[in-house]
Amino acid sequence: MDDRSTDSDPVTAGESSILDTLGEDVIRIVSPVSLCMLLVVLLVSSVSSTNDLSSSISSLFLSSTTTPTSFSSLNLLLLGSDSTWEEIKSALVTALSFVVVVTLLTFLLVLLFYFRCTNFLRIYMGISSLFVLSFLGGFISLLLISHFKIPIDPFTFAILLFNLSVVGVFAVFMPKFPISMNQGYLVAIGVLTAYWFTMLPEWTTWALLIAMSLYDLAAVLLPIGPLRLLVELAMSRNEEIPALVYEARPVDPQPGDRVRVWRERTDVRIEATENSTNSATVQTVQETRLAVSEEITAPLIEAFPQTGDRHLGTEEEEDGIGLGSSGAIKLGLGDFIFYSVLVGRAAMYDYMTVYACYLAIMAGLGVTLLLLAVYRKALPALPVSIMLGVVFYLLTRVLLEVFVVQCSSNLLMF
Amino acid sequence: MTVAAGVGYVLIALGPALSLFASVIAKKPFLILTLLSSTLFWLISLIILAGAWRAFLPVKSTELWPYSILILTSVGFQEGIRIGFWRLFKKMEDMLNAFADRVSKPRLFLTDKMLLALAGGLGHGLAHAVFFCLSLLTPAFGPATFYVDKCPSIPFFLISAIIALGFVIIHTFSMVIAFNGYTEGKRKDQIFVPFAHLIAALITLINLVPGGCNIGLPLLCIMAGTTLYYSWQLVWRRLTEHQTTRSSD
Repeated sequence: MDDRSTDSDPVTAGESSILDTLGEDVIRIVSPVSLCMLLVVLLVSSVSSTNDLSSSISSLFLSSTTTPTSFSSLNLLLLGSDSTWEEIKSALVTALSFVVVVTLLTFLLVLLFYFRCTNFLRIYMGISSLFVLSFLGGFISLLLISHFKIPIDPFTFAILLFNLSVVGVFAVFMPKFPISMNQGYLVAIGVLTAYWFTMLPEWTTWALLIAMSLYDLAAVLLPIGPLRLLVELAMSRNEEIPALVYEARPVDPQPGDRVRVWRERTDVRIEATENSTNSATVQTVQETRLAVSEEITAPLIEAFPQTGDRHLGTEEEEDGIGLGSSGAIKLGLGDFIFYSVLVGRAAMYDYMTVYACYLAIMAGLGVTLLLLAVYRKALPALPVSIMLGVVFYLLTRVLLEVFVVQCSSNLLMF
Repeated sequence: MTVAAGVGYVLIALGPALSLFASVIAKKPFLILTLLSSTLFWLISLIILAGAWRAFLPVKSTELWPYSILILTSVGFQEGIRIGFWRLFKKMEDMLNAFADRVSKPRLFLTDKMLLALAGGLGHGLAHAVFFCLSLLTPAFGPATFYVDKCPSIPFFLISAIIALGFVIIHTFSMVIAFNGYTEGKRKDQIFVPFAHLIAALITLINLVPGGCNIGLPLLCIMAGTTLYYSWQLVWRRLTEHQTTRSSD
């Protein structure tokens, strides 16, 4: 008797198809990234002072129906008025100095980790998250309060801020905290830092993004790269690096879920030294510190880990698609931040670029996860997504916008 | 006209899409991924079209023929891409079936395949609504509204929201029809989809005539209804056929 005879409705027949659970892990990492990007876009569009979007679109509509000079005005808006050589030069210098400082700090981090100063690192990370949550959080809350004219007195504000920051630091670093609070606070830290980065001038932001993605590529894949050294150190010692990493675990653990058991399948020499079947291996992450550029007021040094490393824990051998159903993907907070910076900067131009860049970043993330499933070693998460994001931003700004505005303002759609 | 009107326009354009998403697609993570990738696909095809047409824009004349060439080439290109999309879909189906065999779960059911087609179509419709309607809605959240010269009776945002709604329905369900048609090899279904798309796009040409949108909008909604009805009939027939062949085993 075939159990699947009534397969027009498989759920009621008790059979579940693979479509029900496949891709769960990817969605669990895509949702917080999307949430972070959405919050940054909302913040940018509500609090930003120069509202390019609506004014430019309204002027386009007005001019397109009256005079044939709409093309030139559109051209002016597209090319922008700030593409001077000076701005580009200063942007390149800033980005380069940023990358140099990050490299030096990461090497310092590797050194500290090598000398087993883990406690020092943990305390440092705690202090820096406290800084981000209280100072940046306070600054952005003040912006919001003044923009939306929320009635709140200073004492309540101070108490709330203090409470939220302290709980945030505990949520991020204490191991026994509920995972949903941990995830929520990590997203909050990502949103705050990303919003703060979007306040840089435009050319600087783009140069910084491209420079950081090239740095990420070099640091993870080159043999002398600091992040690669860090990962290898951590793996050889079977230790965990103290870092801010988003772990896409389900909020309520399902029965029989061994989410902390990972199978490590990267180096041959590692496998020779430990059991190759179901050994509880290390959750290795990487960490970099980002020094704030000197253009902004307070020279705050904050530590953000950037992981290029995703480990998919599975209970059985899986090649092919490579998505396990019990493992959790881990993504470093630095990746969250830079994705949101790109989308936030796109939001400062127009919403069309936001949608295009969002899709590009998701595509890049998917490609990275696919490469991870194929190569099974530490991979940088930034390069593919950021490069795709930048390409799509340029294409949208130069090609798509003219086309779509031309069609829709004449009410022609297909 | 204020945030309320802006949100209203968004819901007009995307209401059915959101309810489809929440009720059908959000439950299965793989369908969300399919939706995202098909949205990306449509965006890439739109960028290629925009690149090809960039040199000829903006069209300054008010004649009909440049716009009709624009529409014809765009629709033709997109329908051609749909066949490529179907080939990718077949490959993905084979991969999924191989994966299902490996983890000893049942292979893809007919409803699974149709759900995948629905997610793909919804991705296309969503991309259309987002790029043609939502990205231009930003001024609607402000204090004023806007009327196009050729259509002084309905605000521009409302027209584009209704057109986007019509096209969301057309794109979503024509993907279901098209995939079924290509799988079964039925000529009628295969011809219906490009035809419906072309007619719907040509209907929007009526909007170029002053006062034309009063005729164009209802016609577009009728076209969307036709596509919906056709796909309903197709799916019904397919499912009952499948049911009878299964129970006769």
